[in-house]
Amino acid sequence: MEVLDCLGKRCPLPVIELAKVLKPKPVNSQIRLLSDDPASAPDLIAWARMTGNKVTELGESTFEVTKLTD
Amino acid sequence: MALPHIFEASWPDPTKLGVDSKSAAILLNEARETFAGHLGVRSDEISFLGEPNLGFHLALNGLLAPSLRMVYSNIDRMEIFAIAQSHPNLKLATSASGEIDFKECANSDVVSLQLCNRETGIIQVGRPENCAELFVDATASGTRIGLPENWSAALWDSTSWAGPSGLGILAISKKAKWKNPLPHLDGRVNPGPTSLPLIVASALAIDSWVADEKNLAAKITAINTEIRTYITTKIPDSDLAPGGADHLLSASFLYINAEQLVTILADKGFAVDSGSACSAANMEPSHVLAALGTLTQGNIRLTIHHGTTFEEVKAFLEVLEQTVSELRA
Repeated sequence: MEVLDCLGKRCPLPVIELAKVLKPKPVNSQIRLLSDDPASAPDLIAWARMTGNKVTELGESTFEVTKLTD
Repeated sequence: MALPHIFEASWPDPTKLGVDSKSAAILLNEARETFAGHLGVRSDEISFLGEPNLGFHLALNGLLAPSLRMVYSNIDRMEIFAIAQSHPNLKLATSASGEIDFKECANSDVVSLQLCNRETGIIQVGRPENCAELFVDATASGTRIGLPENWSAALWDSTSWAGPSGLGILAISKKAKWKNPLPHLDGRVNPGPTSLPLIVASALAIDSWVADEKNLAAKITAINTEIRTYITTKIPDSDLAPGGADHLLSASFLYINAEQLVTILADKGFAVDSGSACSAANMEPSHVLAALGTLTQGNIRLTIHHGTTFEEVKAFLEVLEQTVSELRA
Protein backbone atom coordinates (compact mmCIF):
# COMPACT_ATOMS: atom_id res chain seq x y z
CA MET A 1 0.00 0.00 0.00
CA GLU A 2 1.20 3.52 -0.82
CA VAL A 3 2.64 5.31 2.18
CA LEU A 4 2.40 9.09 2.68
CA ASP A 5 4.98 10.15 5.23
CA CYS A 6 3.96 13.31 7.07
CA LEU A 7 5.99 12.68 10.22
CA GLY A 8 7.15 15.95 11.77
CA LYS A 9 4.64 18.03 9.76
CA ARG A 10 2.29 20.25 11.73
CA CYS A 11 -1.45 20.69 11.39
CA PRO A 12 -3.01 21.29 8.85
CA LEU A 13 -0.28 20.03 6.47
CA PRO A 14 -0.92 16.26 6.83
CA VAL A 15 -4.62 16.68 5.93
CA ILE A 16 -3.78 19.04 3.03
CA GLU A 17 -1.21 16.62 1.60
CA LEU A 18 -3.53 13.66 2.05
CA ALA A 19 -6.32 15.40 0.11
CA LYS A 20 -3.86 16.36 -2.66
CA VAL A 21 -2.51 12.82 -3.05
CA LEU A 22 -5.97 11.27 -2.94
CA LYS A 23 -7.55 13.64 -5.49
CA PRO A 24 -6.47 11.91 -8.76
CA LYS A 25 -6.93 8.39 -7.39
CA PRO A 26 -10.00 6.22 -8.13
CA VAL A 27 -12.64 5.44 -5.50
CA ASN A 28 -11.67 2.61 -3.12
CA SER A 29 -7.94 3.54 -3.29
CA GLN A 30 -6.13 3.09 -0.01
CA ILE A 31 -3.23 5.01 1.48
CA ARG A 32 -1.29 4.57 4.68
CA LEU A 33 -0.64 7.97 6.27
CA LEU A 34 2.09 8.50 8.85
CA SER A 35 1.57 11.57 11.05
CA ASP A 36 2.67 12.30 14.61
CA ASP A 37 1.01 15.70 14.97
CA PRO A 38 -1.33 15.69 18.01
CA ALA A 39 -4.10 17.25 15.90
CA SER A 40 -3.98 14.53 13.24
CA ALA A 41 -6.04 11.88 15.02
CA PRO A 42 -9.06 14.13 15.71
CA ASP A 43 -8.68 15.97 12.39
CA LEU A 44 -8.43 12.89 10.16
CA ILE A 45 -11.60 11.50 11.77
CA ALA A 46 -13.34 14.87 11.27
CA TRP A 47 -12.01 15.06 7.67
CA ALA A 48 -13.42 11.58 6.92
CA ARG A 49 -16.82 12.57 8.34
CA MET A 50 -16.89 15.86 6.40
CA THR A 51 -15.70 14.48 3.05
CA GLY A 52 -17.36 11.04 3.16
CA ASN A 53 -14.14 9.02 3.23
CA LYS A 54 -12.86 6.46 5.72
CA VAL A 55 -9.98 6.68 8.20
CA THR A 56 -8.87 3.96 10.59
CA GLU A 57 -6.31 4.76 13.27
CA LEU A 58 -3.85 1.85 13.47
CA GLY A 59 -1.80 3.30 16.32
CA GLU A 60 1.85 4.39 16.37
CA SER A 61 1.15 7.50 14.24
CA THR A 62 -0.28 5.36 11.43
CA PHE A 63 -3.64 5.84 9.73
CA GLU A 64 -5.27 3.78 6.99
CA VAL A 65 -7.26 5.96 4.60
CA THR A 66 -9.82 4.69 2.07
CA LYS A 67 -11.16 7.03 -0.60
CA LEU A 68 -14.92 6.51 -0.85
CA THR A 69 -16.05 9.59 -2.80
CA ASP A 70 -14.72 11.66 -5.66
CA MET B 1 -25.55 51.24 41.47
CA ALA B 2 -24.76 54.87 40.57
CA LEU B 3 -21.25 55.86 39.48
CA PRO B 4 -19.70 56.56 42.86
CA HIS B 5 -17.70 59.56 44.01
CA ILE B 6 -14.77 57.25 44.80
CA PHE B 7 -13.73 57.16 41.14
CA GLU B 8 -12.72 60.83 41.58
CA ALA B 9 -11.36 60.52 45.12
CA SER B 10 -8.44 58.41 46.22
CA TRP B 11 -9.13 54.74 46.91
CA PRO B 12 -9.09 54.32 50.69
CA ASP B 13 -8.70 50.91 52.35
CA PRO B 14 -12.19 49.68 53.33
CA THR B 15 -10.82 47.74 56.31
CA LYS B 16 -9.39 50.82 58.10
CA LEU B 17 -11.22 53.30 60.35
CA GLY B 18 -11.36 56.94 59.10
CA VAL B 19 -14.26 58.57 57.25
CA ASP B 20 -12.97 57.82 53.75
CA SER B 21 -12.34 54.19 54.65
CA LYS B 22 -15.86 53.91 56.00
CA SER B 23 -17.31 55.20 52.75
CA ALA B 24 -15.11 52.70 50.88
CA ALA B 25 -16.45 49.91 53.11
CA ILE B 26 -20.03 50.99 52.39
CA LEU B 27 -19.23 50.95 48.69
CA LEU B 28 -17.74 47.46 48.94
CA ASN B 29 -20.89 46.26 50.67
CA GLU B 30 -23.09 47.83 48.01
CA ALA B 31 -21.04 46.03 45.34
CA ARG B 32 -21.38 42.77 47.23
CA GLU B 33 -25.18 43.20 47.42
CA THR B 34 -25.27 44.05 43.70
CA PHE B 35 -23.47 40.83 42.77
CA ALA B 36 -25.51 38.76 45.22
CA GLY B 37 -28.72 40.05 43.67
CA HIS B 38 -27.72 39.33 40.08
CA LEU B 39 -26.06 35.98 40.76
CA GLY B 40 -28.72 34.56 43.07
CA VAL B 41 -26.57 33.98 46.15
CA ARG B 42 -26.36 35.53 49.63
CA SER B 43 -23.97 38.47 49.95
CA ASP B 44 -22.13 36.77 52.84
CA GLU B 45 -21.44 33.76 50.62
CA ILE B 46 -19.39 35.89 48.19
CA SER B 47 -15.58 36.28 48.09
CA PHE B 48 -13.72 38.37 45.55
CA LEU B 49 -10.64 36.93 43.86
CA GLY B 50 -7.89 38.90 42.16
CA GLU B 51 -7.08 35.81 40.11
CA PRO B 52 -10.33 34.30 38.87
CA ASN B 53 -8.82 30.90 37.98
CA LEU B 54 -7.59 30.45 41.55
CA GLY B 55 -11.28 29.95 42.35
CA PHE B 56 -11.27 26.49 40.73
CA HIS B 57 -8.63 25.35 43.21
CA LEU B 58 -10.22 27.05 46.22
CA ALA B 59 -13.70 25.71 45.48
CA LEU B 60 -12.90 22.14 44.44
CA ASN B 61 -10.02 21.37 46.78
CA GLY B 62 -12.08 22.88 49.62
CA LEU B 63 -15.01 20.54 48.84
CA LEU B 64 -12.96 17.41 48.14
CA ALA B 65 -12.67 15.70 51.52
CA PRO B 66 -10.22 12.74 51.33
CA SER B 67 -12.96 10.11 51.03
CA LEU B 68 -14.68 11.85 48.10
CA ARG B 69 -14.27 11.28 44.36
CA MET B 70 -14.10 14.14 41.87
CA VAL B 71 -16.36 13.86 38.80
CA TYR B 72 -15.82 16.16 35.83
CA SER B 73 -16.16 16.09 32.05
CA ASN B 74 -13.85 16.07 29.05
CA ILE B 75 -15.04 19.53 27.94
CA ASP B 76 -14.26 21.12 31.32
CA ARG B 77 -11.44 23.67 31.57
CA MET B 78 -7.80 22.61 31.89
CA GLU B 79 -7.75 24.02 35.45
CA ILE B 80 -10.32 21.33 36.37
CA PHE B 81 -8.19 18.63 34.71
CA ALA B 82 -5.20 19.77 36.77
CA ILE B 83 -7.13 19.56 40.06
CA ALA B 84 -8.46 16.06 39.21
CA GLN B 85 -4.87 14.75 39.09
CA SER B 86 -4.64 14.92 42.89
CA HIS B 87 -7.92 13.09 43.65
CA PRO B 88 -9.67 9.82 42.90
CA ASN B 89 -11.68 10.88 39.87
CA LEU B 90 -14.11 10.03 37.11
CA LYS B 91 -13.93 11.86 33.77
CA LEU B 92 -17.26 11.79 31.92
CA ALA B 93 -17.31 11.88 28.10
CA THR B 94 -19.59 14.30 26.30
CA SER B 95 -21.95 13.27 23.50
CA ALA B 96 -21.29 14.71 20.01
CA SER B 97 -23.74 17.50 20.81
CA GLY B 98 -22.03 18.34 24.10
CA GLU B 99 -24.42 16.71 26.55
CA ILE B 100 -23.05 15.08 29.68
CA ASP B 101 -24.88 12.27 31.45
CA PHE B 102 -24.39 12.50 35.22
CA LYS B 103 -26.31 9.33 36.12
CA GLU B 104 -23.12 7.55 37.26
CA CYS B 105 -22.65 10.12 40.04
CA ALA B 106 -22.88 8.79 43.58
CA ASN B 107 -23.38 10.47 46.95
CA SER B 108 -19.65 10.26 47.65
CA ASP B 109 -18.85 12.46 44.62
CA VAL B 110 -17.91 16.10 44.26
CA VAL B 111 -19.20 17.00 40.81
CA SER B 112 -17.85 19.82 38.69
CA LEU B 113 -20.61 21.21 36.44
CA GLN B 114 -19.85 23.68 33.66
CA LEU B 115 -23.02 25.67 32.94
CA CYS B 116 -21.70 26.99 29.63
CA ASN B 117 -18.60 26.03 27.66
CA ARG B 118 -16.60 29.15 26.92
CA GLU B 119 -15.15 27.89 23.63
CA THR B 120 -18.32 26.68 21.94
CA GLY B 121 -21.21 28.11 23.97
CA ILE B 122 -22.57 24.61 24.75
CA ILE B 123 -25.09 24.92 27.59
CA GLN B 124 -25.13 21.93 29.87
CA VAL B 125 -28.72 20.85 30.50
CA GLY B 126 -27.93 17.73 32.54
CA ARG B 127 -27.76 18.16 36.32
CA PRO B 128 -26.23 15.73 38.82
CA GLU B 129 -29.08 14.79 41.16
CA ASN B 130 -26.98 12.54 43.33
CA CYS B 131 -23.72 13.92 44.72
CA ALA B 132 -22.05 14.97 47.97
CA GLU B 133 -21.15 18.47 46.76
CA LEU B 134 -21.68 20.38 43.51
CA PHE B 135 -19.19 22.89 42.13
CA VAL B 136 -20.58 25.14 39.41
CA ASP B 137 -18.26 26.66 36.80
CA ALA B 138 -20.22 29.76 35.81
CA THR B 139 -17.20 31.57 34.37
CA ALA B 140 -18.64 31.60 30.84
CA SER B 141 -22.36 31.68 31.63
CA GLY B 142 -22.20 34.76 33.87
CA THR B 143 -25.67 36.10 34.60
CA ARG B 144 -27.32 34.11 31.79
CA ILE B 145 -27.99 30.83 33.64
CA GLY B 146 -29.09 30.45 37.25
CA LEU B 147 -27.45 28.13 39.75
CA PRO B 148 -28.92 24.66 40.34
CA GLU B 149 -30.60 24.42 43.74
CA ASN B 150 -28.08 21.92 45.15
CA TRP B 151 -24.99 24.08 44.45
CA SER B 152 -22.15 24.02 46.99
CA ALA B 153 -19.68 26.46 45.42
CA ALA B 154 -19.77 28.56 42.24
CA LEU B 155 -17.26 30.66 40.34
CA TRP B 156 -17.88 33.61 38.01
CA ASP B 157 -15.50 35.71 35.93
CA SER B 158 -16.12 39.44 35.71
CA THR B 159 -15.37 39.46 31.96
CA SER B 160 -18.55 37.45 31.31
CA TRP B 161 -20.63 40.58 31.95
CA ALA B 162 -18.13 42.81 30.13
CA GLY B 163 -16.58 43.83 33.44
CA PRO B 164 -12.83 44.30 33.94
CA SER B 165 -10.59 41.24 33.72
CA GLY B 166 -8.67 40.00 36.76
CA LEU B 167 -11.70 39.65 39.02
CA GLY B 168 -13.39 36.41 39.98
CA ILE B 169 -16.40 35.97 42.23
CA LEU B 170 -16.49 32.84 44.30
CA ALA B 171 -19.60 31.88 46.24
CA ILE B 172 -19.49 29.15 48.83
CA SER B 173 -22.89 28.01 50.03
CA LYS B 174 -23.55 28.11 53.76
CA LYS B 175 -24.85 24.54 53.33
CA ALA B 176 -21.60 23.20 51.84
CA LYS B 177 -19.02 21.23 53.80
CA TRP B 178 -16.14 23.38 52.58
CA LYS B 179 -12.73 23.58 54.23
CA ASN B 180 -10.23 26.21 53.17
CA PRO B 181 -7.38 24.46 51.29
CA LEU B 182 -5.06 27.47 51.82
CA PRO B 183 -3.11 28.04 55.04
CA HIS B 184 -5.31 30.34 57.17
CA LEU B 185 -5.85 31.61 60.71
CA ASP B 186 -9.26 33.21 60.26
CA GLY B 187 -12.47 32.65 58.32
CA ARG B 188 -11.42 34.48 55.18
CA VAL B 189 -11.69 32.44 51.98
CA ASN B 190 -8.73 34.10 50.26
CA PRO B 191 -5.88 36.13 51.74
CA GLY B 192 -6.78 39.25 49.68
CA PRO B 193 -6.96 42.16 49.52
CA THR B 194 -8.77 42.30 46.19
CA SER B 195 -8.74 45.55 44.24
CA LEU B 196 -11.67 47.77 45.29
CA PRO B 197 -11.57 49.69 41.96
CA LEU B 198 -12.02 46.42 40.04
CA ILE B 199 -14.87 45.30 42.30
CA VAL B 200 -16.69 48.62 41.94
CA ALA B 201 -16.14 48.76 38.17
CA SER B 202 -17.38 45.20 37.81
CA ALA B 203 -20.47 45.91 39.94
CA LEU B 204 -21.31 48.86 37.64
CA ALA B 205 -20.70 46.61 34.62
CA ILE B 206 -22.98 43.81 35.84
CA ASP B 207 -25.81 46.30 36.48
CA SER B 208 -25.61 47.72 32.99
CA TRP B 209 -25.08 44.28 31.45
CA VAL B 210 -28.22 42.87 33.04
CA ALA B 211 -30.22 45.96 32.02
CA ASP B 212 -29.08 45.54 28.38
CA GLU B 213 -29.28 41.75 28.28
CA LYS B 214 -33.04 41.44 27.82
CA ASN B 215 -33.19 44.12 25.13
CA LEU B 216 -30.27 42.74 23.15
CA ALA B 217 -30.94 39.00 23.44
CA ALA B 218 -33.01 38.87 20.25
CA LYS B 219 -30.34 40.74 18.25
CA ILE B 220 -27.56 38.44 19.47
CA THR B 221 -29.62 35.34 18.65
CA ALA B 222 -30.26 36.70 15.14
CA ILE B 223 -26.55 37.49 14.62
CA ASN B 224 -25.57 33.99 15.74
CA THR B 225 -28.09 32.43 13.33
CA GLU B 226 -26.84 34.71 10.53
CA ILE B 227 -23.21 33.62 11.08
CA ARG B 228 -24.09 29.92 11.28
CA THR B 229 -26.24 30.05 8.15
CA TYR B 230 -23.62 31.99 6.19
CA ILE B 231 -20.76 29.64 7.11
CA THR B 232 -22.83 26.52 6.42
CA THR B 233 -24.18 27.68 3.06
CA LYS B 234 -21.37 29.81 1.63
CA ILE B 235 -18.09 28.37 2.91
CA PRO B 236 -17.43 24.80 1.76
CA ASP B 237 -15.68 22.25 4.00
CA SER B 238 -16.61 24.11 7.19
CA ASP B 239 -17.49 22.48 10.49
CA LEU B 240 -19.52 24.22 13.19
CA ALA B 241 -19.02 23.06 16.77
CA PRO B 242 -22.27 22.40 18.65
CA GLY B 243 -23.39 25.57 20.43
CA GLY B 244 -26.03 26.81 22.80
CA ALA B 245 -25.33 30.26 24.25
CA ASP B 246 -25.95 32.73 21.44
CA HIS B 247 -23.00 35.01 22.18
CA LEU B 248 -20.44 32.27 21.48
CA LEU B 249 -19.66 30.35 18.31
CA SER B 250 -16.82 28.11 17.17
CA ALA B 251 -16.21 27.17 13.52
CA SER B 252 -13.45 25.24 11.74
CA PHE B 253 -12.36 25.16 8.12
CA LEU B 254 -10.61 22.22 6.43
CA TYR B 255 -7.15 22.74 4.92
CA ILE B 256 -6.67 26.06 6.75
CA ASN B 257 -3.85 27.10 9.06
CA ALA B 258 -5.64 28.90 11.90
CA GLU B 259 -2.67 31.08 12.77
CA GLN B 260 -2.64 32.52 9.24
CA LEU B 261 -6.42 32.96 9.25
CA VAL B 262 -6.50 34.72 12.65
CA THR B 263 -3.59 36.99 11.63
CA ILE B 264 -5.23 38.05 8.36
CA LEU B 265 -8.56 38.65 10.08
CA ALA B 266 -6.78 40.76 12.73
CA ASP B 267 -5.09 42.82 9.98
CA LYS B 268 -8.53 43.49 8.53
CA GLY B 269 -9.84 44.64 11.92
CA PHE B 270 -11.56 41.54 13.29
CA ALA B 271 -10.33 40.10 16.60
CA VAL B 272 -11.08 36.39 16.85
CA ASP B 273 -9.61 33.61 18.97
CA SER B 274 -8.68 30.08 17.91
CA GLY B 275 -8.68 26.58 19.38
CA SER B 276 -6.31 25.13 16.77
CA ALA B 277 -2.98 23.57 17.72
CA CYS B 278 -0.91 26.00 15.63
CA SER B 279 -2.29 28.96 17.58
CA ALA B 280 -1.83 27.38 21.05
CA ALA B 281 1.24 27.87 23.19
CA ASN B 282 1.60 24.12 23.80
CA MET B 283 0.90 23.21 20.11
CA GLU B 284 -1.97 20.96 21.23
CA PRO B 285 -5.41 21.31 19.64
CA SER B 286 -8.35 22.36 21.82
CA HIS B 287 -9.36 19.41 23.98
CA VAL B 288 -12.95 20.64 23.75
CA LEU B 289 -13.07 20.40 19.94
CA ALA B 290 -11.31 17.03 20.01
CA ALA B 291 -13.79 15.69 22.62
CA LEU B 292 -16.73 16.82 20.49
CA GLY B 293 -15.28 15.38 17.27
CA THR B 294 -15.26 18.85 15.71
CA LEU B 295 -12.44 19.61 13.25
CA THR B 296 -9.61 21.31 15.18
CA GLN B 297 -7.65 22.80 12.26
CA GLY B 298 -8.55 26.21 10.88
CA ASN B 299 -10.63 26.97 13.97
CA ILE B 300 -11.95 30.38 14.98
CA ARG B 301 -13.91 31.27 18.10
CA LEU B 302 -16.25 34.22 18.01
CA THR B 303 -17.79 36.25 20.82
CA ILE B 304 -20.78 38.39 19.91
CA HIS B 305 -20.72 41.42 22.19
CA HIS B 306 -23.69 43.58 23.17
CA GLY B 307 -22.35 46.29 20.85
CA THR B 308 -21.81 44.02 17.83
CA THR B 309 -23.85 45.21 14.83
CA PHE B 310 -25.27 43.40 11.79
CA GLU B 311 -23.15 45.62 9.53
CA GLU B 312 -19.94 44.52 11.29
CA VAL B 313 -20.98 40.89 11.09
CA LYS B 314 -21.82 41.16 7.38
CA ALA B 315 -18.42 42.74 6.65
CA PHE B 316 -16.70 40.09 8.77
CA LEU B 317 -18.40 37.18 7.02
CA GLU B 318 -17.45 38.50 3.56
CA VAL B 319 -13.81 38.90 4.66
CA LEU B 320 -13.87 35.43 6.25
CA GLU B 321 -15.25 33.77 3.11
CA GLN B 322 -12.70 35.53 0.91
CA THR B 323 -9.75 34.79 3.23
CA VAL B 324 -10.60 31.09 3.57
CA SER B 325 -10.88 30.82 -0.21
CA GLU B 326 -7.54 32.63 -0.76
CA LEU B 327 -5.71 30.53 1.84
CA ARG B 328 -6.95 27.35 0.18
CA ALA B 329 -5.86 28.41 -3.32
